Amino acid sequence: MMTCLCDAFFDDVARATHEVLESLGIEVIVPESQTCCGQPAFNGGDWASARQVIRHTLNVFQGDCPIIVPSGSCAAMSFHGALLAHEKETDLPQVQAFGARTWEICDFLRNGLGIESWEGRLDARVAIHSSCHSRGTGTPEAIRTLVGSIAGVTLLDFTQPEQCCGFGGTFSVTFPHISGSMGRLKIDSVRATHPDLLVSGDMSCLMHLNGLAEKQGSPLPVKHAIQVLRDARVTPVTVQ
Amino acid sequence: MSHQQIDQFAHRLDKGVRDSVLGGSAAGTEKRRQVLFGDLPNADSLRALAGRIKQHTLEHLDRYLEAAEERLIDNGAKVHFAWDAASACQQVETLLRERGVRQVTKSKTMVSEEIELNRHLAEKGFDLVETDLGEFIVQLDGDHPSHVVKPIIHKNRSQIAKTFERCGLGDYNDDPETITRRAREYMRRKYLSAEASITGANFVSAESGRLCIVTNEGNSRFGLAGARVHIALVGIEKLVPDDRSLSLMLNLLGRSATGQNLTVYTEFIRGPRQPEAISGPEEMHVIFVNAGRTETLASDCREILRCIRCGACMNVCPVYRQSSGHAYRSVYPGPLGAVLSPLLAGSARFAEFADLPKASSLCGACNEVCPVDIPIPDLLLRLRDRAHREHAPAAFDDAPNLKPWAMLAKSPAAWRMSLRAANMLNIVPLGFLPFGPLGRWTSQRTLPSWRGGRYRQWAAERKKQKNNPS
Amino acid sequence: MNDRARIFSAINDALTPLQERAALPELDPAQWVCPSRLTEGGSWEDFRRNFEAVNGTFLTSFEALSRLLRDANATEGYADPGLLEELPETFRDGLTLHETIDRGSIDRYAFGITRAHAAIAESGTVILRDLDTPDRLAALAPWIHITLVAKEALFSNVTEAIDDLGEDPNTVWVTGPSKTADVEGILIEGVHGPGIQVCLPI
Ligand code: SF4
Repeated sequence: MMTCLCDAFFDDVARATHEVLESLGIEVIVPESQTCCGQPAFNGGDWASARQVIRHTLNVFQGDCPIIVPSGSCAAMSFHGALLAHEKETDLPQVQAFGARTWEICDFLRNGLGIESWEGRLDARVAIHSSCHSRGTGTPEAIRTLVGSIAGVTLLDFTQPEQCCGFGGTFSVTFPHISGSMGRLKIDSVRATHPDLLVSGDMSCLMHLNGLAEKQGSPLPVKHAIQVLRDARVTPVTVQ
Repeated sequence: MSHQQIDQFAHRLDKGVRDSVLGGSAAGTEKRRQVLFGDLPNADSLRALAGRIKQHTLEHLDRYLEAAEERLIDNGAKVHFAWDAASACQQVETLLRERGVRQVTKSKTMVSEEIELNRHLAEKGFDLVETDLGEFIVQLDGDHPSHVVKPIIHKNRSQIAKTFERCGLGDYNDDPETITRRAREYMRRKYLSAEASITGANFVSAESGRLCIVTNEGNSRFGLAGARVHIALVGIEKLVPDDRSLSLMLNLLGRSATGQNLTVYTEFIRGPRQPEAISGPEEMHVIFVNAGRTETLASDCREILRCIRCGACMNVCPVYRQSSGHAYRSVYPGPLGAVLSPLLAGSARFAEFADLPKASSLCGACNEVCPVDIPIPDLLLRLRDRAHREHAPAAFDDAPNLKPWAMLAKSPAAWRMSLRAANMLNIVPLGFLPFGPLGRWTSQRTLPSWRGGRYRQWAAERKKQKNNPS
Repeated sequence: MNDRARIFSAINDALTPLQERAALPELDPAQWVCPSRLTEGGSWEDFRRNFEAVNGTFLTSFEALSRLLRDANATEGYADPGLLEELPETFRDGLTLHETIDRGSIDRYAFGITRAHAAIAESGTVILRDLDTPDRLAALAPWIHITLVAKEALFSNVTEAIDDLGEDPNTVWVTGPSKTADVEGILIEGVHGPGIQVCLPI
């Protein structure tokens, strides 16, 4: 599942996911009819619309092979949010089954495939922002372990790591001031560690943070964790 | 710009207040975490356990409430019930009046804030003083508490010093120690002259009828040592099944609230004092207050009634930290308030507070620290759904209409077309972006360039290559 | 319908539609005993460490108590009449001890000596009951509060103390001096109650 954000903006993240999985000998299927996990409507309170989108996604991803997403947030939507949206619906079991097959990519590599360390090299000081929707999942540890195991990587600890970046989907536009202030706090604590790279498992956080940073006049060097893994190991590709 | 009231409030917030709230709520977060997890290696499973105990109690509330009532009566206390705020205030007033009481001390109770007891009693000519230092300052200022544990988190020492000066509690002096000593001197006269003392209760054990009240200052204890009548206002959700449960709850409460293994003064009160005792109330009245709780119990958000008012969720909440407690326009701020306030308001006034559940990025930090493991983000989402179904206007100020987007997201052909068309026109299709209106996004941030459908193209190419390796 | 009936009927209405109700989980109090606070197996040594961690003053002799009172210039105070015979002559020398608290001159008492029912090692708590401490004011009004507690009356952990709550209508656990952090989060001790909390096992 490529996620709507990668479909629209961050094609290279979806591609990195694809390439890493293939490099591990896994066949990747990309159903053409996929659109979105339904989270925007779900978080926005329009659960009726959300259920329509979730049912569409359910349809597109029939079968029983694992569903891999390069986003902790969309993954959490599939195994948690969708269940909540369907708690009073008769097709709840199908939604549960769908959720049980869904993995965030780094969680899948670390805990699904049991990979403990990552080959390759990256000489960089790396700060990792754990996205909020990956709280309580295997993703944060997976990213730290895998990215941290790349030769040459120094992981940086910034202050108040548990604080949200302020994105929150529609929250970012309905509460622009609070969202902006939250993001700037996060940027300040990240910048204080002078990273070469800010890495996360969710492009949405990074899009928001870098968007704020650019507006301040100095962009943040950001990358999705899976891009870091791909670039360290697979021959780097030039993004078109 | 934004019309969401909480965002507006945060935007206009005085910088000094913002700094106090931001600093005050962030301070101690690490300590609370260390004390909780350092002392209790399996703290997370204990939070879940405490949550299950409270959930069980709520789902058998009829039984437990009745048991507590019986035990309290056996122990010599008088038990009363109040359906709503008006009834609760009236009953307190009547109790005081019948006993000829005019002077009253009161230790911090959130339910008394809900029912606006201070205002009611002041209007009726009673002389009531708040004895918790923070609540006392709130009372002097005619203000409202902005945090359930730190009522004056929004004030700094110089504001407090001015208040004391204005109220005749000495010349201007902003040394926290001096402020505290002056309150000490003032308050001890009050404790001894007041005939009645009003408290809340943190827990009530249905097994023994024991009220458990915790304070750090000792104000509740002192109030009850001085007075001859004790009136406890207790929300009906404060029950726990038995005394053993108190042991777990107390272990979690102090650590979650203030990073203490136990709060300094933990009182267990079963009934009025024994005849041999020299001080302590001869009469004990417990008023069980509903004020919207049964309606909350009937809702699909009843988990919020587990809350033990530790304040941890607001301390970690990034939205609370930016906007302060008063932004929530209700007694309970932060994530707790965003769920509880619309529910306690009842169906008649739900719409008025329907924007509160929107004031969250759903980051889940609250759930992670909640000692009774309330799934706050899930409850916020359920309330958003309800606000949407009930067409509560407050919830929709500025919120993007997601129907067109959902139409697109369930029609793959249209979705792909929109991706491609936008690519050709080199625009960001507004219907596509669930975060619109776009101006709101770009007022704070830049937008990455549109690359709609590129990955699809690449994946299609890749598939072709694989199928026809040449 | 009166308020009571109305509340119970509303609770009933709220709960009746529930298909299942959450069961009461098994409680295993061993789960919330703090191993790091009980390194000496729940002894007075543990109590001392945990009591001192909350700024309690742990003393082991009346000589030490005399010194503390002398340093604080505290000569007049209250002593529970039931405790008088526990206080050595040498200790009482030079002190004015009252056996009652006069509510009219509450500031006269620089210290109050009361009997604690027991102490809790795990939390550094002293337990006061009305039965043992007939005048609650003695433990609250003076700046220095001294509890004497029998050496054998030590609970290891919080649950043991809960199990012992018994029939006394009023029990209070005191874990350190009275304190507040309401003003800018700055810790101040001695708000309404004592600023110095002493425990002396006897
Ligand atoms: S909701 Fe949980 S964290 Fe928040 S005040 Fe209540 S018990 Fe504490």
